[in-house]
Amino acid sequence: MNLALAIRRVIAALLLVITVSAAAFVLARLAPGDETTSDFIAGVDPATIARKRERLGLDRPFAVQLATYVWGILRLDLGESARFERPVASLVAERGANTARLAFAALLLATVLGLPLGVLTGAHARWWGSRLIAVMSIAVLACPPLVAALGLLYLAVSTGWLSAAPGHLFVPALALGLPVAASLERLQSQATRDAMAAPDLLAAAARGIPPRRLVWVHAARQSLRPVLGVYGIVIGSLFSGSLAVEFVTSWPGLGRLMYDAVRAGDVRLVAGCVFAGGVCLAVGNLVADGLRAWADPRVRETA
Amino acid sequence: MRRLAAWVLGGCAVLAAAAPWIAPNDPVSLFADRAFAPPMAWHLRDAEGWHAPFVYRQQLTDRISRTYVEDRQQRVPLRWFSAGRVVAIDPGAGPLLWCGADALGRDLCARLLHGARLSLGVALLGACGALLLGAILGAAAGAAGGRFDTVVMTVADFVLVLPIVYLVIVLRATRPLVIDTAEVFVMMSILFAIAAWPDVARGVRAIVATERTRDYAEAARAAGAGPVRLIGHLVPAAYGFLRVELVLLMPALLVAESTLSFVGFGFDGASPSWGGLLKDSETLTAMYSAPWLLLPAVALFVVVLALQALSGAGATISPGVRRASAVDIAAPRR
Amino acid sequence: MTRSRLIRLVLAVALAVVAILVSRRVGTPQPDGEAGPRRGGRLVASFRTEPTNFNRLVEAQPVARLAALLTQATLLRVDPNSGAFEPRLATAWTGTPDGLTWTFTLRPNVRFSDGTAFTAADVLFTFQALYDERVGSPLASEMRANGQPLQVRALDDHHVVLTFPVPFGPGLTILDSLPILPRHKLQAALDAGTFRAAWSAGVNPADMAGLGPFMLQEYVPAQHMRFVRNPNFWLTDAEGQALPYLDEIEVAIVPEQNAELLRLQAGESDLTTGGTRAEDLAMLRDAEAAGRIRLMNAGTAIDVSTFWFNLTPGAKAVAGKPWLTDESFRRAVSHAVNRQAIVDTVHLGAATPVYGPITPGHGQWFVPGMGETPFDLGRARTLLTSIGLEDRDGDGVLEDKANRPVRFSLLTQRGNTERERTSAVVQEQLRQVGIAVDVVALDGGGLVGRFTSGDYEAIYFGAQSNSADPANNLGFWLSNGGFHYWNPGQVTPATEWEARIDTLMQQQAATMDRAERIRLFTEVQQLVADHVPALWFAAANITVPVNARVGGVTAAAIQPPVLWNAERLYVTSERR
Repeated sequence: MNLALAIRRVIAALLLVITVSAAAFVLARLAPGDETTSDFIAGVDPATIARKRERLGLDRPFAVQLATYVWGILRLDLGESARFERPVASLVAERGANTARLAFAALLLATVLGLPLGVLTGAHARWWGSRLIAVMSIAVLACPPLVAALGLLYLAVSTGWLSAAPGHLFVPALALGLPVAASLERLQSQATRDAMAAPDLLAAAARGIPPRRLVWVHAARQSLRPVLGVYGIVIGSLFSGSLAVEFVTSWPGLGRLMYDAVRAGDVRLVAGCVFAGGVCLAVGNLVADGLRAWADPRVRETA
Repeated sequence: MRRLAAWVLGGCAVLAAAAPWIAPNDPVSLFADRAFAPPMAWHLRDAEGWHAPFVYRQQLTDRISRTYVEDRQQRVPLRWFSAGRVVAIDPGAGPLLWCGADALGRDLCARLLHGARLSLGVALLGACGALLLGAILGAAAGAAGGRFDTVVMTVADFVLVLPIVYLVIVLRATRPLVIDTAEVFVMMSILFAIAAWPDVARGVRAIVATERTRDYAEAARAAGAGPVRLIGHLVPAAYGFLRVELVLLMPALLVAESTLSFVGFGFDGASPSWGGLLKDSETLTAMYSAPWLLLPAVALFVVVLALQALSGAGATISPGVRRASAVDIAAPRR
Repeated sequence: MTRSRLIRLVLAVALAVVAILVSRRVGTPQPDGEAGPRRGGRLVASFRTEPTNFNRLVEAQPVARLAALLTQATLLRVDPNSGAFEPRLATAWTGTPDGLTWTFTLRPNVRFSDGTAFTAADVLFTFQALYDERVGSPLASEMRANGQPLQVRALDDHHVVLTFPVPFGPGLTILDSLPILPRHKLQAALDAGTFRAAWSAGVNPADMAGLGPFMLQEYVPAQHMRFVRNPNFWLTDAEGQALPYLDEIEVAIVPEQNAELLRLQAGESDLTTGGTRAEDLAMLRDAEAAGRIRLMNAGTAIDVSTFWFNLTPGAKAVAGKPWLTDESFRRAVSHAVNRQAIVDTVHLGAATPVYGPITPGHGQWFVPGMGETPFDLGRARTLLTSIGLEDRDGDGVLEDKANRPVRFSLLTQRGNTERERTSAVVQEQLRQVGIAVDVVALDGGGLVGRFTSGDYEAIYFGAQSNSADPANNLGFWLSNGGFHYWNPGQVTPATEWEARIDTLMQQQAATMDRAERIRLFTEVQQLVADHVPALWFAAANITVPVNARVGGVTAAAIQPPVLWNAERLYVTSERR
C-alpha cells in the first residue's frame, strides 16, 4: 500500500465515522422517548421534566439540534451525555479502554484457538476429532450469549477455580472469545478445505512436499484470505463491546455504556458509542488488510 | 452423515408443519398450577405390571419452590389419534407436558413446535437474503475493484456500525400498534438480510479479489468475458465460504429475533417463536432448577448441526463427486 | 504425533468438565450471629445501575438515594415499618397548635465527616439549594406544601424554625427524604451555578463531606463504590457503642439480575438491592436451607402496576369503540380477571390480590375489602350483555351493536417480567368472556411516547412511587396530574366524581389530623371503587435475601430494603 492510498483510506474512514454518528443521532432522535423518559418512569413531576428538557435544549427545533451536533462532531466534540452529565468523549474513552483490554484478550484467545483448530479440522475432515471439534463449535454458536456467559459465571463461582469478581479478565474474555473462536474455526476449516483442493496445492502434494508442511504452511497461508476478509469485522465488533458478556460479568465496557445510553434515551451518548464503533471497525479493517497483504502476496497488487 | 442430516432437517420441517396435530396442547393456553412444571415421564409398568404407555398426573405440592409430584394413584393412559391430535390424554387429568411448562404454565413442547414455523422460516429467509445480497455485492466489488469496490465496502461498513436496533425502534413507531404476524415475518426477514449482508460481502469480496488474479480468470478475461460472465466464473470459489456463513448466520439471527422483540418488534406471546423461548432460557433459574427451559437452545443446536452436516463435508457443485484434496494425495493411507 | 496428543488434550478437557459438574460445591453453614452486634468487618452489596451523581438534590435515580442514605443524614427519619418519627440531626421539635411552625433543636457537637462542625447554617443552605431555580431539584416538588416552598430561619446555631405556608397533611414526614448538605463544601458551587456538577460521578471523594454513617472512599466507574466508616458519626447504640458497626460497605455494580443472584448465592455478595423475582425464590430457599442466606420478609409492595383504558374524551385511538370508555365494560373486565390466578402464576403465590391502588403495604391508608370485585364470569357476561356486547356470529369473540368485534390492544413495558406476564394472563382470561386482547410490549420510550401522545387503547404500567402517604402522590390523584393515568393533565375535571376527588384530596393534603385524613382518603378510595377508572390486580410480597452472616437487618418495603438502616448492620464473621 502506498502513502496516497493510505491517506485516502483514512479520510474515507473518517467520513464514514462522522456520517454514521450523525445518522445514529438522527435515528435516536426520531425514536420515541428522549432523555427524560426514565425520569417519567421514576415518577418525576412534569415541571422538573420540562426544566430538564429546556436545560438539554430538547425544546429547540430538530434541525438546529442536528446542526449543532454535526458542527460539534466535525470539531471532534461529541457533546455531553445527559445521563452522566459528563463529556461523551471522556466516557467513551474510559469505557473503550476497558473494552479494548477485554477484546484484546478475547481476540487472542479466539485466534490462537480458532485458526489452528480450523486448519486441523479442514485438513482432516473425516477424522473423528474434527467432527467432535465441529460439533463443539456449533454448540458454542447455538448457545444464546447470555446463557453462555451466565453458565461460565456459574462455573466460576461454584468451583472457585476462576475468579468471578468484577474486574477480573478471565471469565469475560472466555465468554467473549469462545463464540468468536468457534466461528473462526468454522470459516478457517472451510477455507483450508478449499485450499487443499486447489490445483496448486494438489501439484505441491504430487511433488512430494510432506503433508504437515503442506497443511500448516501452504494451505494455512492461502486459506487465510477469506477469514481475514471478515477478521476486520470481528475486530471491529469485539472492540465496540458486547452487551451480553459485559452485562453478565459486570465488565465496565462500551457494550454496557451503549445499552445504558439506549435505555436512558441519551442520544449524544448513543451517537458517541456508534462513533467509537465506527473507529474500531475502520481500524479493524486496516489491520485485517495489513494481515491479508502479509498472508497473501497477491493482494498487494490488487489493493 | 449427510443423509442423517437431511432426515433430521426434513423431520424438523414435518414436525413444524404438523405442529397443530403433533403438539399435545394449544401453544397459548395457560394451564393453572403448572408454572414451571417439569416434563412428564412415559411409564410402561407400575406395581400391577406392564401396561400400554401411560403417564401420571402432575400435582403441585409447593408453589414457591415449584415442586411437583406424580400422582401414582391412577394411571393416565395415552390416547392415540384422538381429538385431532396424534397423542393426548383425558383433559380431566391436566395437560400432557412432554417438555415441561414455561413460567406461565404454557406447554413448552407446543411452543417449540409452533415456534419452529415462524423462527426457522424467518431466520432461513433472512440468512438466504443476506447471502444473496452479500454474494452479489461482494463479488461485484471484488471483481470490479476501484471506486465501485470502495463505495460498496463503505456502505457495508456503514450498515455494520449503524445501530440497527434504533432503525427498528423508529420503524416500529411509524407502524400501527398491532402488527399482524405476516407483516412481522416479512419485515424481519428483510431487516435480517439488510443487517447481515456486510459480513458476507466482506468475505466474498476477499475471495473474489484474489481469485480474479488467478490464471483462469485472466484467461476468461482475455477470451473476452464481460464483467457479469467474469463474476459467474469467480463466485463458485466462494461457495464454501457461503455455506459456512449460512451455518453461522442461522443461530445468530435466531438470537437476533429476541433482540428485536425487545424493542417491540417481534412475534407476540400469541405466536410463539424460538427467539422468545431462547430469551426465557436466559435465567439462572433455567440452569438451576428448570433445565427444560434450555430445550430451545438444544433444538437450535440440532438444527444448526444438521445444516452444517448437510452443507459442509467437502460438498461440491455437483453432488456425488467428491473433490480430491491435497491430503488424500500426500497421505493416501492415513 | 500431533493427533494423539490432541486426543489426550480433548480427553483431559472432557474429564475436567465432568469433574466440575460432579463437584458442585456444598455450602458450609455459617454459625448464627447470636453473640450480638460485632464491630468491624466489611459488607458487600450489589446494585444494578451505576451512579451518575452523588448529590441527592439533583438526582432522582435510586442509586443516588442509596448514596445519600449512606453518606448523608436527615433532620429526622420515619421508620418505614412503623411510621414513627425518629430523631436524627434534630433531637427534638415542637410545633405551634396550628401545626404550621416547628422549632427544631439540632444535635450538639456534631461534625461532618471532614471535621467541620454542623450548624443551623447547613440546614438553611440545604433549603436554599433545594428551591434554587438553577438547580432544578427533582426533590423540590415533594418538599412543597400545596406548591409553595417551606420557610426556614435560624434562631441560633442550634435551633431552626420551619414554617409551612399552608396546613400540610404529610407534615414533617417529608423531611425524611431531605439530606442536610455541607455548606462549606457546596456554597461556592451553588453561587457559581455549578451545583449540579459539584458531586457528579467523577467527583474526588475528598471534595465531599457528610453527616451519614459512612463516607465515600472511592468510586471506580461502573464497577464499585466503596464506603468507609465515618469516624465522626454521631450516633451510638443502646450499649453506648459508636455506630456504625461496619468498617466498610462495598457496593458492586452488577447490572444483570441473574448475575447478581448468582453472586449472592455463591457468597460473593451479602445482599442485593433490587427486587427478587418469585421464580428465584426456589433457589434462594435451597440456599437458606443450606444455611448460606436468610430470606427476610419486607411486607407488601406499595407500587402496584395499573391497568387502564384511555378515557381522554375524544381520543382518536378509541374512536369507534364507545364501549371501551364504558364503566360497565371496565367493571366486567374486573370481574373477568381472576386475580388469584395472577398471584399464583405470575408471582408463584408470593403476592396479595388487590382491587385498588392502595395495598396492605400502605398501612393505615389501606381499607380491607375496598372495591373488591370477585372473580365471576357470569357477572362479567351479564355486564357485557347489558351494554350490547354479545357474540352475534358465534366465533367466540363478542361484537358490539354495529357488529364490530370487541378487540383492543394492551400496551405494556417490554423487559418488565411482571408486567409482561400479567398482560399475558389477562389476555388469556379475557378470552374466556369473548374479549380479544392484543398484547403489545414496547420499550420504555415507545410506551411513554404512546401514553403522552394519547395514542393507545389500554396500558398496563405504572410509574414508581416511593411514598405511602397519598398527599405525596397528588400527581396520580388529581385530575390535572401527569400520572392521572386514564386522563392526565385535565384543565377542568372531566367528571363529577373526579372533581369530587380533587376536592377531597386537596382537603386531605391540607388536614393535619390523621384520623380525619384517613376518613377523607377512604372516601376517595370509595369513589375510585365506584367508578373503576382503572384496575389493579396484585401487589408483590417483597422478600429480601441476605447472607446469613449479616446481622441487624430490618427489612422494609422501600428502596433500598436493607441498606436504609446501614449503620446498624453488622457481620458475624469475616469474608472468606
